Amino acid sequence: MLSIFKSIPTHMDYKGQKLAEQIFQGVILISAVIGFVYGLIVEQFGWTVYIVLGGFAVSCLLTLPPWPMYRKNPLPWQPVLPETSAESNQKPPENIQKKKKHK
Amino acid sequence: MNTVLSRANSLFAFSLSVMAVLTFGCFITTAFKDRRVPVDIRVSRVLLKNVDDFTGPRERSDLGFVTFDLSPHLQPIFDWNVKQLFIYLSAEYATKANSLNQVVLWDKILIRGDNTKLNLKDMKSKYFFFDDGNGLRSNKNITLTLSWNVVPNAGILPLVVGSGHVSLPFPESYENTKSY
Repeated sequence: MLSIFKSIPTHMDYKGQKLAEQIFQGVILISAVIGFVYGLIVEQFGWTVYIVLGGFAVSCLLTLPPWPMYRKNPLPWQPVLPETSAESNQKPPENIQKKKKHK
Repeated sequence: MNTVLSRANSLFAFSLSVMAVLTFGCFITTAFKDRRVPVDIRVSRVLLKNVDDFTGPRERSDLGFVTFDLSPHLQPIFDWNVKQLFIYLSAEYATKANSLNQVVLWDKILIRGDNTKLNLKDMKSKYFFFDDGNGLRSNKNITLTLSWNVVPNAGILPLVVGSGHVSLPFPESYENTKSY
């Protein structure tokens, strides 16, 4: 059953990951400030917690699924070469690229 | 940040750190607040008996029965960092055997949201007012004070003594009620 989840593509490119991180940090910080001020006014700390949880839910929706805006800068891979005797010369550069991919 | 789990991990850890900072902020906004309130205590009757106290080593000890009125208005203490108040009435006095005695006579738990303007009349003590010996009879000065423990959402638990107290002498003989 786990193979179903593994087959859904969830990757983002690097610029997309940076954007996602900035988005969720910004959303949670803004909801924290709003929650703190509102809880201070209403004199109930419970409201602060609820607002931060709401910010958490919003940022989950915005950053967890791989939306297309996070895939705007894909890495420029080399084009696939046909499988001839020249393939043995191409293996070392491809290995270096593979090491860069698994961050 | 390439997989959903890794993004969910950073998101959750960041939210928890932010929540910890907010809780500290909540503590800081109320840490230096003065939580004393003037309290009005009145005693209407005192009855003194001399009975066997099976928890102590001696033959008979003094047992006091105090009937009192209380009207504290505790609304200013409750703010967004207070969960409940533990209020207790204590009697403090000196005897020949011990220089300082403190006995808790009555207590109450006030949860946030309960009525804070208490107006209690003719309350009997909840706990026995036993003395360690026979020091209550003809005692010139017994002081009753109301104190409370503030239980916060985040931070320290201060023990505050209310700013009103009543001192009264106890009766000279047993089984005689003294009214004030």
